[in-house]
Amino acid sequence: MSTLSFALTPRRRRAFGLLVATEMKIGLRRPVAPIVAVGIPLALLVIFGSIPATTRPTAAFGGISFFTLYVPSLLVFVLIAVGLGGLPQQLAAYREQGVLRRLSTTPVPPSWLLAAQLLISLMLAIIGITILLGVGALAFGLALPATIGGGLVALASLVLTVAATLGLGLCAAALASSPQVAGAFQALFFYPLAFFSGLYIPLQEIHSQVVSTIAKVLPTGAGFNALHASFLGHSPGIEPLVVLAAWAIGCSVAAARLFRWE
Amino acid sequence: MYTPQLNRTQTSAPARATGEAAAPVIDVSHLHKAYATTIAVDDVSLTVNPGEIFGILGRNGAGKTTTVECITGLRTPDRGSISVLGLDPRHDRHELHERVGVQLQHSALPDRIRVGEAVDLYASFYRRPADGRELLATLGLEASRYHYFAKLSGGQKQRLSIVLALIGQPEIAVLDELTTGLDPEARRDTWRLIEGVRDRGVTIVLVTHLMEEAERLCDRVALIDRGRVIALDRPAALGAQASTSQRIRLHSPGSLGETILDGVPEVSRVERRGQDIVVFGSGDVLTAVVLAFDRAGVRAEDVRTETASLEDAFLTLTDESTATNAEMTR
Repeated sequence: MSTLSFALTPRRRRAFGLLVATEMKIGLRRPVAPIVAVGIPLALLVIFGSIPATTRPTAAFGGISFFTLYVPSLLVFVLIAVGLGGLPQQLAAYREQGVLRRLSTTPVPPSWLLAAQLLISLMLAIIGITILLGVGALAFGLALPATIGGGLVALASLVLTVAATLGLGLCAAALASSPQVAGAFQALFFYPLAFFSGLYIPLQEIHSQVVSTIAKVLPTGAGFNALHASFLGHSPGIEPLVVLAAWAIGCSVAAARLFRWE
Repeated sequence: MYTPQLNRTQTSAPARATGEAAAPVIDVSHLHKAYATTIAVDDVSLTVNPGEIFGILGRNGAGKTTTVECITGLRTPDRGSISVLGLDPRHDRHELHERVGVQLQHSALPDRIRVGEAVDLYASFYRRPADGRELLATLGLEASRYHYFAKLSGGQKQRLSIVLALIGQPEIAVLDELTTGLDPEARRDTWRLIEGVRDRGVTIVLVTHLMEEAERLCDRVALIDRGRVIALDRPAALGAQASTSQRIRLHSPGSLGETILDGVPEVSRVERRGQDIVVFGSGDVLTAVVLAFDRAGVRAEDVRTETASLEDAFLTLTDESTATNAEMTR
């Protein structure tokens, strides 16, 4: 109901910049989200990258190593940790404490705070992905798409996965009336969603039609499929990309309709 | 020192001194706002003059906060019209918030924002912000510049909320339940600050449920009960209004007292409270009661009278409002 109007005069652009900078400073004073979203997957990457058995090509995985298969799962981990952890927690706390209400009495609409938090989550996601891919490629010989076309497909897969998972986060932020509820959402949805990205075991190992069908329609499963194929230089096909786009758009529309500023 | 609004001070001060009617800065007419199950504001009309401290006084749940939320554009009224500085709070919300500073109940800052950061951030929201450093100094928060919001005391948080309500150099400041939860000393300090703000020419709308606060600070007070304005006047005038319906309590067992007072013109009503009677009346009812007892040859024992205050006015007027309501629903 509040206007997402951005009459971006230079003064208002400065105000938004200061809001983002201040929110980042506040976030770094209690860096739970960055540690969980980047630290844990980085630790897993280093562990599995250091074990010879997991870095050897395996026939069971179609001639690639477990490590190569696992990196897309870790990328999805980063994104759902940012989307379901940081973003809804922060916004629910701000709503409950009355930070959004305080802002709504100034010339700046409370939607700016949502935009700032979204931007910070996006930056955190980009930083996390860059660190994982950088460390993976430099320290453990992770193969990245070699051609420009392959790189663009991988980038498109990444962008859509980010959009879908942050969309989920916005939905959770819209529905969570308090940080406790946001925490419950996270506990309830994080692990199942992570499962379908192959975080616990590669889904190929399960050999279940049901599991792979569910994975195809979930943002984490579709994200894994898109990232896995495109990082190997294959075409992911249109299906996972459409699923991701649908999640991104559907969640954003739902969040915009459901969001409560108080 | 921080001295904004100088020209306004000069123009509004004479108006205040002579009591002449300047154009009101806030004009609310027949405001009505209902939520799903309750009528929060039934029918509120009031005007606030430039340069005054205007009190909105009432019990918890009387409709005070909803009224100021409508005035500041946070809620859309179901009926009625509101004009603030000639603006429509809903349609000109942005412009309104540039010129009206608001501190609301149940609003806060992030726990880990530093005082100085909050002031700088909020200053950036406004066209012509005040000097945040000077404002902090004026409100005695200079030493807390680097403290986290969560670490501030209740009084410091309230002072910071005044700083943030004033950081945009507003023409009107709306302060909702500013001193709730403060100890008496911090409360008195806050009152002095509010008077200081008014002296800079800022019109203040003060929402409170504390009689003492309204009596001490406000030039005029609107008493709100069950979503209606039941009285609107200077605090002293409201007190006087209560004194015209004075109450005297005295010891008088049996039914003798009622018999003695029957037909005394100053007495409007007598109520029995166990061994005591309570006499309601107007004018010099005390003398009339004592004389009537004396004429009957009975000594009036244990006579107590209350000096009329805003609190009496409040109780008297809300009692009347309750009685009227009861009659209306009957």
